Amino acid sequence: MENRLQHFLLTIALAGACATPCAKALADADYDNEFVEFGLSAGVLNIEDFGSELSLGASLTVKASEDFFLQVNYLQAEAALSSFEKSQGQLFSGSDRDFQHYDLLLGVNLFQAEFGREGEPNLASFYLVGGVGDTTFGGEQSFTYTVGAGYQWAIWSNYLIKLDYRDYFYQTSLMAEEKTVHNGHVSIGMSYVF
Amino acid sequence: MPQSYLKKIRPLLLGFVLYASSQAQLSAAETAGERVTLQVIDVYADVHAGPGRGYPVFYAVEQGEAIEIIAKRPGWYEIRLQNGRTGWVTAKQISRTVQATGEPADLPEVSFGNYLKNSFLLGLSSGVFTSGELKNSDHWTFSLGYRPISWAALDAEYGKLYGEDVRGDYYGINLIVEPFSQWRLSPYLLVGAGEMDVDSQPKLVPLEIQKSDFNNMAFGLNYYLGRNFLMRAEYRTLTVSTDNKDADLATWKIGFNTFF
Repeated sequence: MENRLQHFLLTIALAGACATPCAKALADADYDNEFVEFGLSAGVLNIEDFGSELSLGASLTVKASEDFFLQVNYLQAEAALSSFEKSQGQLFSGSDRDFQHYDLLLGVNLFQAEFGREGEPNLASFYLVGGVGDTTFGGEQSFTYTVGAGYQWAIWSNYLIKLDYRDYFYQTSLMAEEKTVHNGHVSIGMSYVF
Repeated sequence: MPQSYLKKIRPLLLGFVLYASSQAQLSAAETAGERVTLQVIDVYADVHAGPGRGYPVFYAVEQGEAIEIIAKRPGWYEIRLQNGRTGWVTAKQISRTVQATGEPADLPEVSFGNYLKNSFLLGLSSGVFTSGELKNSDHWTFSLGYRPISWAALDAEYGKLYGEDVRGDYYGINLIVEPFSQWRLSPYLLVGAGEMDVDSQPKLVPLEIQKSDFNNMAFGLNYYLGRNFLMRAEYRTLTVSTDNKDADLATWKIGFNTFF
C-alpha cells in the first residue's frame, strides 16, 4: 500500500518535473510577468441608518486576461453616532462600531481606450465588479453582496489611479427585524502593477 | 596531516566552498536569466504602444525579424525590436514566432491543460448548502493551489458560511482531477478533507456540528473563458464527523479560477 502511494507520488513529481519544453518555452526566460496589482484607497462610506464616514481600503487584483480580473478587497470605517442614537442613546460601542468589510470580486474591463497626453498613450478603462464577502458591524457578521463600477487610468506604465463606486448590501437586524441595507461607497485609490 | 594544521585552514576551506557554491549559483542564475530572442514567422506582427487593444499600432515586425521578450501581461508580451524600440504584441501572435531552436515560443489559445502545467491557481466561489443542518446557508470560499501536471491540481481553501442563525468558517485541502483538461468545457472530480467551526448566533440552538472534521467529494465542470481563466460550477457532498453520528451536507457552488 505504502509502496503504491510512493509510486503514485513519485509519478506525479516526475510528471511535474518533465514539463515539455514547448509548453512553457518562455517560462524560464528572464522577463517580468506582470499580473498582480496592489492598491490603497481612501473614500467615503455611507452606512445605512448611520452616517457617512471616511473609509480606508486595500486591494489585491490578479489579472486573468486582458478583460477579466479577480480582486480581493478590504476596507474599514468607524461609525459615528447616528441621529437616532443621539436622541435615544448608543446602540453598541467599542470595536462593534468599526465597520469592517472584505470581499472577493470578479471584474470585467468594458471600455478600454487611450486617455491623456498626446504621444504618450496611457490606457484607461471603465470596469464592472461583482462578488461576495463579509461585513462585520454592530456585533453582526453578514454575508454581503458587492456590486460596483469604476474607472482606472494608467498614469505611468505601472501606476494606476482608480475611481470606484461600490454598493455593499446584506441582511441585518440591527435597527429592525431582518431588512436589507445598502451601503454606498465612493473611493479614489492608487495601485501598482508588480 | 596534523590536526592543528587542519584547524587553521578550516575557515579557508569553508570560505572556498561557500565562494564556489555562490559562483555556481550565479552562473546557474545567469543561464536561467538569459533574454529570449524570437523570430517572427508570420508575414508580420502588429506592435502596439501598450498591453491592450485600445493602444495604437505603431509598427509591424516583419517576417524573419528577431525580437526580444522583456515582460509579460495577461494576453500580451512586451518586446524589444532590433532598432531598440519597445512595444507590445499579443500572446496569439507570439505563439506563431519561433525560438532559435525552432520550437514554437508559446502555445496557441487551445489545449488549456497542457498550458497550465506547473502553474499556481487562485480561485473564489460562492454557493448555498442544500441539505443537512446548514440547509440554506450561504457561503463563499477563497482557494489557492498548484497544478503540477496538466490533469490534476491540489488546492487549499478557506471559507465562511452564513445561515439563519449560524455562522461558521471552514478550511480544507483537496485533490482535483481533471482528465480532459484540453477541452474548453471540462469535467473534474474533487476529493478532500478539512475542518469546520460552526456557532449559533444567538447561542440558543444546540448544534450537532460545532468544531468538526469533514471529508468532501465533488463533481464539477470547468469552462475556460481564456487560457488562464475559467468559470466553474460544482456540486459537493460533505460528511462531517460529529459527536454522535456523521452528518451529511450538500452544496452547489459557482466560482472563478485564474492561473499564473
